[in-house]
Amino acid sequence: MPERQSSEVDDMEITLNTGSTVYQGAIIKGGKTFADAEGYMREAAYCNINPEDFDALGRPWFVRITNEYGDSVVLRAKKTNTQQRGEVFVPRGVWANIVVTVYTESTGSPTYKNLKVDIEKCNGPVLDPVTLMRQEYFGGNMHKIWKEKAED
Amino acid sequence: MTCTDVTCPVCGMSCDDIYIELTDDAVLTKNACLMGDAKFQELRSHHRLTKPLVHGEEASWDEALEKTADILVNAKRPFFFMGSETSNEAMAVGIEIAEYLGGLVDGNATICHGPTIMGLQLSGQVGSTLGECKNRADLNIYWGCNPADSHPRHMSRHSQFARGFWTEQGFKGRKVIVVDPRRSPTCEAADLHVQLKPGKDHELIDALMTMLRGEEPHPTVEEVTGVSRETLNKMAEMVKECKFGVIWVGLGIASSRGHHYNAAIAMRFTHECNKFTKFVINANRGHCNVAGFNQVLAWTHGFPFAVDFSRGIPRYQPGEYSCVDALSRGEVDAMIVMCANLGGHLPKKAVERLAKIPMIAIETSPGTNAFMSDIILPGVFDGMECEGTFYRMDNVPIYARSFTKPPFDFTESNEHTLKQLFEIVKKKKAEKDAREAKQ
Repeated sequence: MPERQSSEVDDMEITLNTGSTVYQGAIIKGGKTFADAEGYMREAAYCNINPEDFDALGRPWFVRITNEYGDSVVLRAKKTNTQQRGEVFVPRGVWANIVVTVYTESTGSPTYKNLKVDIEKCNGPVLDPVTLMRQEYFGGNMHKIWKEKAED
Repeated sequence: MTCTDVTCPVCGMSCDDIYIELTDDAVLTKNACLMGDAKFQELRSHHRLTKPLVHGEEASWDEALEKTADILVNAKRPFFFMGSETSNEAMAVGIEIAEYLGGLVDGNATICHGPTIMGLQLSGQVGSTLGECKNRADLNIYWGCNPADSHPRHMSRHSQFARGFWTEQGFKGRKVIVVDPRRSPTCEAADLHVQLKPGKDHELIDALMTMLRGEEPHPTVEEVTGVSRETLNKMAEMVKECKFGVIWVGLGIASSRGHHYNAAIAMRFTHECNKFTKFVINANRGHCNVAGFNQVLAWTHGFPFAVDFSRGIPRYQPGEYSCVDALSRGEVDAMIVMCANLGGHLPKKAVERLAKIPMIAIETSPGTNAFMSDIILPGVFDGMECEGTFYRMDNVPIYARSFTKPPFDFTESNEHTLKQLFEIVKKKKAEKDAREAKQ
């Protein structure tokens, strides 16, 4: 375990923006969210971080993002110059939606962008979409399809 | 089989120049973008849903329709979600069933450009067709959108790189401003990237409007928006100097804090620009026929989205009857989703509700939406396997022809599916009413 640098922090408050990318779009529009779960994870389960924030977080492989209600999701960390300091980008998808809040300001549209969240370094793992949805949404409801199949 | 000039049913641009070569086991496309090609490949994919499923078990078509009608007729607050990847004709039937049963109805616009439409209702939109932008625009402002990713052919067909009647120089005669907190791939083509702080669109537009009126913006403008005065001045000058400017707004405006107020001030900014030059504002709408849902609901019931029929008359209230709000409050007790991927696009709290209530999906692939559904009625690809009308993102209707048939014979189109369902719903509702009258 490398020693922590003085500039590193345990967790930081950061602004989350979500949005589409063409590769994530190709998976979603092509209906391959589960047929190509690996591709879906590759194109939607990551978090773009500014290089300075990336260093401050301790150059993580994985990060955990937590919203104000305590919902959290683990994503792969990517260091990119496309982000400003203090903001991260996660493509649209089931992972980002775990932390997107239903606060719609009476418009019907959730806070997909410009959402204050906490970000911290973690050891993974990033869950595949089936496991993630089963874990987050099917607490005890045995009547939904795919659930039993996913357990096989 | 070879087909030309096929309409692409993927994003809001409805590109109508796709070339398709269809064989028994493969699909070859030309002109389609990455997303369009992925969708056309679905015609020959191995995972296509071709049989009705009830609780994960194969069922007959009639049985699946009967069970669907049972759920809808017996629900107290059924929700009809008319997704965007289908035709106006299918949406119209869905809306009719919702009205008949006194349910709620909403479409993809609610989680997309719904706030932009509310902004339009507040301020009024100076709009245009995509053709006008292609032929006239010498300034494109991409505000909170990233067409390089979300509409890959947008810049080459309708805006930046296209050669038009009065813009035959193409990109050499046009300027681009990108307003985006992140350096998106679209910025590669930009003359000016206004990298504002996230969620400060309203403040930035306000400052620009002040400058256009010849007054000084507030001294804290740089600190608040994160944009230098130099960049602001440059942007204001570019706006004043152009002959025909277009603001393409994306979800950066509609999904950010301020939602419809951001859209409303962006439209007022467009009014202000018209004092100097011709300026229009268009929404970069992302999902196939998402504009069509607004149009169909508006011309049948007077409102663009988020409508409740429970009192026998259409009532419009975003934030109350809209999908995310109604689901997260826990008041919806049955849901039918046509051609939309709600499982993969709604926030957690809303999807939690979907997991608890009976859900029916008209669906083509076993994705996140099918994962949440109790009953699956196989969907048909509009514009490929059946014909129909799509509204393009500039609200121009495009008639999409079909070039093949669905891989099953129990339905011809999603419209046909809903019409069959409606007949059974009417029968069951009459039985239920008679039973209740007896008691």
